[in-house]
Amino acid sequence: MSATPQPLDPKIEQLLADPALADNPLREAMAALWHEHQRLVRRLERITHLSDSFQALAHEGELDLTRKLERQLRHLEKVARISDRYQSMLRELNVALAHASTHDLLTGLANRRLLSERLRAETERSLRGQTPLAVALVDIDHFKTINDTYGHDVGDRVLQTIAHTMEDKVREYDLCGRWGGEEFLLLLPATDGEHVRSVIERVQQAVRLLVFDDLQPPLRVTVSIGVANLQFGESVDALVKRADDALLSAKREGRDRIVYGD
Amino acid sequence: MNALNIPGDQSTPSIVGHWDQGVLAMSGDSYPENAFELFGPVIQWVEDFLASEPRPLQLDLRLLYLNTSSIRAVLDIFDLLQAAHEQGKQVGVRWHYDPRNERVRELAEEFAEDCSFPFDIVPSVERASA
Repeated sequence: MSATPQPLDPKIEQLLADPALADNPLREAMAALWHEHQRLVRRLERITHLSDSFQALAHEGELDLTRKLERQLRHLEKVARISDRYQSMLRELNVALAHASTHDLLTGLANRRLLSERLRAETERSLRGQTPLAVALVDIDHFKTINDTYGHDVGDRVLQTIAHTMEDKVREYDLCGRWGGEEFLLLLPATDGEHVRSVIERVQQAVRLLVFDDLQPPLRVTVSIGVANLQFGESVDALVKRADDALLSAKREGRDRIVYGD
Repeated sequence: MNALNIPGDQSTPSIVGHWDQGVLAMSGDSYPENAFELFGPVIQWVEDFLASEPRPLQLDLRLLYLNTSSIRAVLDIFDLLQAAHEQGKQVGVRWHYDPRNERVRELAEEFAEDCSFPFDIVPSVERASA
C-alpha cells in the first residue's frame, strides 16, 4: 500500500540546511521545534536509563529521533509495569505479615496484641453507644499436668482443639483469642448479661464433651472461666482484672466452673 | 583484571564480579538511595568485560525487591548483554527465585521479555549470604 514513510531526521536536517529556504517564515519556528524535540528525547533517555554510556553500545545513534522516542517510551512503560508488580508483591507481603503479627501461630486465633487492640476499641464503642460488653478469661484446668503426663505435643493438640471448639461456639461478632500460655480471652460485644451466660455456658459444655480417646489413659479436659461485664467508666485494665479475679475464684472454688465477677 | 566487590546491606544488594570466571553475581534487596552511584561501577564492569574479553559472560542473580531505579539499572545491563549477543558474543542470565513465591518468577519473565540470549529462571532454596 503506502511506502514506508521516509525517516524524518535527515529530511528535516536537510530542509533546515537548504539555503533556498533560509527566508521561509516557517524555518525559524521549525528549527526551534526540532531543537526542543531533540532536547526532550535526550531528557527522556536520561530518565529511562541509568547509564550515560548506554547509548554507545546500543547503537542508539543509528535510530532516527522518532524511533528513539518510541523505544524510550516502550522502555519506560516496561519499567513502570515491572515496578507495579514489585509493589503488589510488597503489599501482599505486608498483608501476610500483618496477619502473622496479630495471630497466634499454634491455634490461629487472635493473639494478645490483636486482643488488646480490640479490647480498647470495643470498650470505647461500648462507652459511646452505651452498649454492654463482656470479657471472659478461660483457663485450661491442670494444663501443666497434661503436659507432664502426655508430653508437650499432646499439650499443643489440646490447646488447638480447645481453641477451635471455643471459636466454633462463639458468635460471628465475638472475638476468641489466645491471651497467654493456656489462657484464652473471649470478647463479647453488645451482649447483655443473660445472653453472655448462654454463650459462656455453651463454650463450657462443648469443652466438657471433648474426649481424646486415642490417648492412654483417654483424656478429658475442663476449663475455669471468669466473666466480667463492663461497668460504666471502667478502664480496659480494670475490666480484665475483674475477669481475672473471677477466674482466680473459679480455680480456688474447685475448677471446672464459671464465676461472674459482677 | 577488574575488581568488583560491593558488600550488600539491608537496602542494597551484594554485587561481586568474578572476572576470571566471567560471572557477575548479584543478590539481595535493592532500594539504594542513589542507584546511579551503586550501579554505575557495575555497568562499567560489564561494558569493560564485553569490550575486552572474548570469553562468555554469565549473570547469576538472586535478587529480591528492586526499587524503580534498580529496575532501570538491571534493564540497562540486560540491554548491554542483548547488544553483545547480537554481535555474536556468548552471554547468559540465570535468575534464581524462592519457589514459595511464584510472583517473582513472573517478574523475571517480564525482565526476560526483550532478551534473546539464554535466560534461565530457576527455583532455588535461599542460601545464607557468605
